[in-house]
This record gives sequence, C-alpha cells and structure tokens, in this order.
Amino acid sequence: MVRRARGPPSRILYGVIELQHLTKRYGGTLAVDDLSFKVEPGHVTGFLGPNGAGKSTTMRLILGLDAPTSGRALVNGRAYTSLRRPMREVGALLDASAVHGGRSAYNHLLSLALTNDIGAARVAEVLAQVGLAGVARKRVGGFSLGMKQRLGIASALLGDPGVLMFDEPVNGLDPDGVRWIRDLMRSLAAEGRTVLLSSHLMSEMALTAERILIVGRGRLIAEATVAELTSRYPSLEDAYMALTAGSVQYGAAR
Amino acid sequence: MSVLTSEWLKIRSIRSTSLIIGLSLSAVLLGFGLAVMAAGMYDSAPVDRRPSARISDLEEVVVIVPQLCMGILGTLAMTSEYVTGLIRTSLTIVPRRWPLLGAKAAVVVAAALVIGPTVVFGTYFLSRWVLGDRFSGAYTVAFLDRLPVLATVSLTVPVFALLGLGLGALLRSTPAAISITVGLVYVIPIIIGNIPEPWSERLGSLMIAALPRQITGDGNANSVYGSLLPPVAAAAVLVAYAALPLLVAAWLLRRRDV
Amino acid sequence: MKAAVSSEWLKLRSVASTYHTLGTAALTVLLGVGWTLYVSALADERGSLRAAAPEQGFLPLVQISLAVLGVLAVTSEYATGTIRPSLAAVPRRGTLLLAKAGIVGLTTFTAATTILLLTYSVSRLLASGHNLGFNTTPLADDLPSLLASSLSATALALVGLGLGTAIRSTAGGIVSVVALLFVLPGIANYLPSPWNTRVATLLLPNIVPQIVGARLSSRLGDGFLPPWAALAVLCAYPVIALAVGYVLLKRRDA
Ligand SMILES: Nc1ncnc2c1ncn2[C@@H]1O[C@H](COP(=O)(O)OP(=O)(O)OP(=O)(O)O)[C@@H](O)[C@H]1O
Ligand SMILES: [Mg+2]
Repeated sequence: MVRRARGPPSRILYGVIELQHLTKRYGGTLAVDDLSFKVEPGHVTGFLGPNGAGKSTTMRLILGLDAPTSGRALVNGRAYTSLRRPMREVGALLDASAVHGGRSAYNHLLSLALTNDIGAARVAEVLAQVGLAGVARKRVGGFSLGMKQRLGIASALLGDPGVLMFDEPVNGLDPDGVRWIRDLMRSLAAEGRTVLLSSHLMSEMALTAERILIVGRGRLIAEATVAELTSRYPSLEDAYMALTAGSVQYGAAR
Repeated sequence: MSVLTSEWLKIRSIRSTSLIIGLSLSAVLLGFGLAVMAAGMYDSAPVDRRPSARISDLEEVVVIVPQLCMGILGTLAMTSEYVTGLIRTSLTIVPRRWPLLGAKAAVVVAAALVIGPTVVFGTYFLSRWVLGDRFSGAYTVAFLDRLPVLATVSLTVPVFALLGLGLGALLRSTPAAISITVGLVYVIPIIIGNIPEPWSERLGSLMIAALPRQITGDGNANSVYGSLLPPVAAAAVLVAYAALPLLVAAWLLRRRDV
Repeated sequence: MKAAVSSEWLKLRSVASTYHTLGTAALTVLLGVGWTLYVSALADERGSLRAAAPEQGFLPLVQISLAVLGVLAVTSEYATGTIRPSLAAVPRRGTLLLAKAGIVGLTTFTAATTILLLTYSVSRLLASGHNLGFNTTPLADDLPSLLASSLSATALALVGLGLGTAIRSTAGGIVSVVALLFVLPGIANYLPSPWNTRVATLLLPNIVPQIVGARLSSRLGDGFLPPWAALAVLCAYPVIALAVGYVLLKRRDA
C-alpha cells in the first residue's frame, strides 16, 4: 500500500486502471480493438500511438462517456459509472477547450466540484496550484490555449484522486509550463498515484514516463519500460518510429 | 466567385442543412393534408351550407414552415462559424469581410428562392387539384389573378433567410438570433392581435405576414394584420426587414474584432 | 443528488444567457404597464372597453423565453463540450438530467410566477378607476389562471430541456418548442371542424384555459378536457419529453 507522502494520510491513494478485451466500433471504424492492459500506481505511464490510434477513445471508454462495443474498462476494480464520487478516485483532462466561454474559471471548477462534495477551498487551492489564481474570476472565453490547458489540469486535480488521466496536456504550454507539467506528473506518481499520460512529444515522454504503452489502429503494439526501449533503440523516438511503422494511418506521403 | 463556391460547400456541410430543407419542403405535404381534410369536410356538409363554406389560402398557412426554416438556415450559416471558431479561418482566407457576408447572403437567398416558390406554388397547385371547384374564393379564381399574391408570398422566404443571416451576424449567437426571428413571426403577431384599435391595425400592417397582400393591393381582411400601407411602402418595409439587419451587421463586421 | 443539484444551480447562475432569457420574460411587466396605460387612456376616451389582461396577452413571451432557458440548460453543454466533464463528474446520467430538470423547473416556476403576479398587480393598480374588462374580478378568482399560466411556462421549459437533451442542438431544441407552442396550434386552427377543436384541445397553449374552464378562442369554442384532465395533459408534456431525453442520453455515447 502506498500512502500519501505529506500530511496525514487522508485516504489510500492506491489505484489501478484495467482494460479487459476493450473494443469500440464507430460504424465502420474500429477505434479500439481488443485492448487489454493494466496501468499501475507509483509511476507515470506514457500512452503513445499515431493519430487516430484510439488513445482518446480509450480514455472516454474508461470514463464511461462512450459505451464499449465489448469488453470492459475498470478503475480500482469497478466500472467508472458505478463510482459514487468519481472525481475523488479518477481525475481526467480530455479536451481543455470543453468549457463554457461565458463562465469564470472559478465557477467552472466549482460547478464540477459541487457534484462530488468538494468544497470551494479546494477549488481555490487547485487554481493556485496551476497558476490561475490571478484570473480565477475572469471569463474562460478570454483564456489563451495554455491557460485553458492549465484549467483542464486543475479540474483533473480537484478531487485529489488516486488515478489521473491526461490527454495531451502539454499542448500550448510555454517552456515553463512544460517543465511544470513534467514535475507535476512525476510528483503525482511519486505520491503513489496512477498516472496515464498521452502525448506526441517523445523527448518529453522520455523524461516523464517510466512505462510506455504503444497502440496502433486500436491494438496494443508494445508495453515496456522506457529503460527497456532506450536500451534496444537509440532513443524513445526511434523505438516509437520502429514499433508504429506499420500502424500509421494518417502519415504524409513520402 | 470562388468565395461563393466555398460558402455553398460550407452551407451544404452544416449538419442540419438537409434536415432544414427537408422540413421546409414537407410543408407542401402539410398543405396537401389540409386540402384533403377540407375537401372531405366540404363533401360531408349539407348541400345548402356548401355555398357559404370558406377556406383559408393554404399556401399562406404553410409558408410559415419554410419561412422559419430558412431564417434558421441563414442564422446558422453565420453563427455556426462563431461556435466552432471557423470564422477566424474564414476571415483569414477571405480577409475582406463584406465579400464573405455577401457570399453567405447570396447562397442562403439562392436556397430560399428555390424553396419558397416550390412550397408556395406546390401547395397552391396541389390544393387546387384536390379541391377542384369546392369552396368559392381562393382555388376557383383563375391562376393568373392569384399569381401576384403567390409570388410575393414566396418572396417572404428569402426575406427570412436574409433576416436570419443578418441577425446571426449581428448577435453572433444562435439562440438569440433564432429567438428574435421567432418573436417577429409568432410572438409579436399574437400580442398585436390583443391590442385595441387603432394600434392593432397600425402595427399589424408592419408585420411580415401582412406585407404581401398590401404589396399586391389585396388587403388583409379577416386577419389580425392591418392593411394601411400603399403597395410601394409595403414593398419597402419588406425589403427593410431583409436589408436593415444585414447592413448593420456588415457595418459591425468591419469594425468588430472577430 | 443534492450535490448534483447545487452544481446545476451554479451552472445556471454563472452564464449570461440565463439572465438574458429571464430578462426577456420579465419585459412582460414593462409591457404590461404600457399596455394598461394605453387601454386606460382609450377607456377614458370611449367610456368603457374590453381589453385582454396583460398577463394573458403577453404569456407567450414568458413561455417562449423560459422554454429557451430550458433548451440552453442542456444544449449549451453540447455546444461547448462541457457535457463530457459534466458526465465524468456525474456518471449517472439520470441523476444529471434529473438535477437539471429540478433546477430548471424551480427557476422557471419561480420566475414565471413572480413575473405574472407582478404584471397582474401593477396593471390592476394602474387600472383602478377605469373599467377595462379585465380588472373587475377579484384576485381569488384570477389566481387559478395565474398559477396555471406559470405552470404552463414551467412545463414548456422542461419540455425544452427534454427535447434539447434528445436533439443536442440549440437551434433544433428551440425550433421544437416553437413548433409545440406556435406552429402546431397555428395549423390546428386551419383544420376543418370538428378536428380543429379536437386537436387544439391537446395543444399546449390551449391547456391553461381548459384548466380554469374558459373557452379556447372564439374560433375553436370550448375544449374537451375537464380541468383535472387538462392538468394531467400539461404534466404529460414534460414527462414525455424528459423520458425521451433520458432514454437517448442513457443510450448514446457522450
Ligand atoms: N465519436 C466518434 N465517431 C466516429 N468515429 C470516431 C469517434 N471518435 C473517434 N473516432 C474514430 O476512432 C479512431 C480513434 O480516434 P481517437 O480520437 O481515439 O484517436 P487518438 O489516438 O486519440 O488520436 P490523436 O493522437 O490524433 O489524438 C479514429 O479513426 C477516429 O476517427
Ligand atoms: Mg486524441
């Protein structure tokens, strides 16, 4: 059992994501194809794959937003939709632009927090944590790409959950923000949380993640530690290129 | 010209365009259904009551459907770009803002100029065919005598398209623009119907639905609408409905940040 | 459930469109003042006069404004994408819809009742001393009609919410409430009798007169429903719309 490092252990943070033969079909498109893996706590798990490989779809399936065609996705052994206060167990950033432009950052977060009995004090806390305290009362519509990204990360952190999922969180962040994300991910994992992180930035991933999952055309291509991959290939990027060579669907003509 | 083609493509690819057009055209079926029911009622009425039986002009009853639908199409042509942020791309590609608005106007008017007459004349001919020589009045009058009213009524459909487009560009919000269009067509006429004279007739003469028959000089007997305007003034009011919001929008589009 | 309700309440309070729709509905009070002054002046000229009561004449404005509020309560979530974070925070979709319905119902009922009562009292105050036809009955006699009117606006807002959930589009949602409130009744008027009255008796704008035992209009005559049945039909509208919305929300991917 891994407990929270600082302060009194409010509750056990140990969490795990488990996919069992997860399959999702949209009409004729097989977005996720018989995917099975486990994401364990204590380190950052990188989720890689070419455009359209099914990463975002997998995350939506884990969150119960889309219903699987077959198979299942479990968080801490249960279906996400059966959790009573899901934000306290799982935090997710899917699409940072999914905010009502007319609402303030504070109200946006508070409206999410209230559903899971999370107080206003925690909202102020995460706003400060992501560096948005100064613009908490401003309309989200006027935020820059990076500010929206930070707001999305704040919403994932709201419930202080043991399982976190981030879909391309570094998009639009300044160099300072990129480093901040890297440190945040690593410290969240070091606290014993389960962190699933998708990104296309291989150099960043090599610095942040310890384990890597690579998917292509909805199927699992590789599951390994960064150390294993970089010992077999010159770099993580080379490993990625070699492993996904047959799975790129939307590549430029060469 | 290429701006026109691009706008035409965009309009066609709005998710709801085919639905809106289908709904507009279904008004003809509605008119047909009403005509069939009216014919049935006429035939089952006692012979001595038949000469006094009256029927409304069905094409004017059903034209509210394409009016509303084309108003919404006009609105969506503009607001859907604001919702998705596509407007920024559009204005980068066509940086001069008036051609963009002009091209959108041309496309929605073209659509409405096909749909309006199709619904109005389609309903007219179907009803005429169904009703034959039943009911004295509307459908027993020679076609050429009815042509001016039918033509002006079908012209109100493009007016709505432009009104919707203008309001959409002005307000940049789908619900606000649609609500105002709805208010003009439905809410205000109901309220005017409740106002005592002389204002009921005065305001009633300015409503869009009151204009076609003032333009042709037929008058709006038996309705909540008035007929105080001479034909030229009525035509000017009709044009103003289409042009005024669009002109204000064009002026604003140049001055506002996107 | 309580948590979801307080979140929905915050969501509704924190967007400008709520105030725009409520403000439009509240215009009724001002219009009622203008109306009463105008018909009072006319009555002075002509001796006496039978005018419509402003809270009845302007009821369509209240109904459609609040219906748009109901539609936007859900379609704005689809337009901005916030429906996904919302459903991730409250995975039980029935709970989310029910919380929305509770808040929309309470808000619109309170707003409609306040607006109609204000319009009623202000116009009666201004009209005192004149005989305008509508200001001769005591409040106790008019209360049922006032209450039925605000119930009808509430029902329409909930219909908007249900159909908005089903259609997921602002334009589509508004058009469907407009169809129920204006287009269908307009067309029913032109059906040959007795079908015009038979159909009209079930349509939303004609329910209020039937609840208080008044006739529908000079053209349609009396409706067929006794007051309790009219009330039941009024309730059936939102129940059916919300049920359709719920089934689709439950079944579809978010
Ligand atoms: N709602 C949907 N309807 C239809 N097809 C969909 C839907 N969502 C995803 N898809 C399809 O499923 C496949 C996987 O998409 P997904 O967004 O999961 O990819 P991804 O790995 O996140 O890609 P990227 O790296 O570009 O974000 C794609 O082919 C996509 O077109
Ligand atoms: Mg993705």
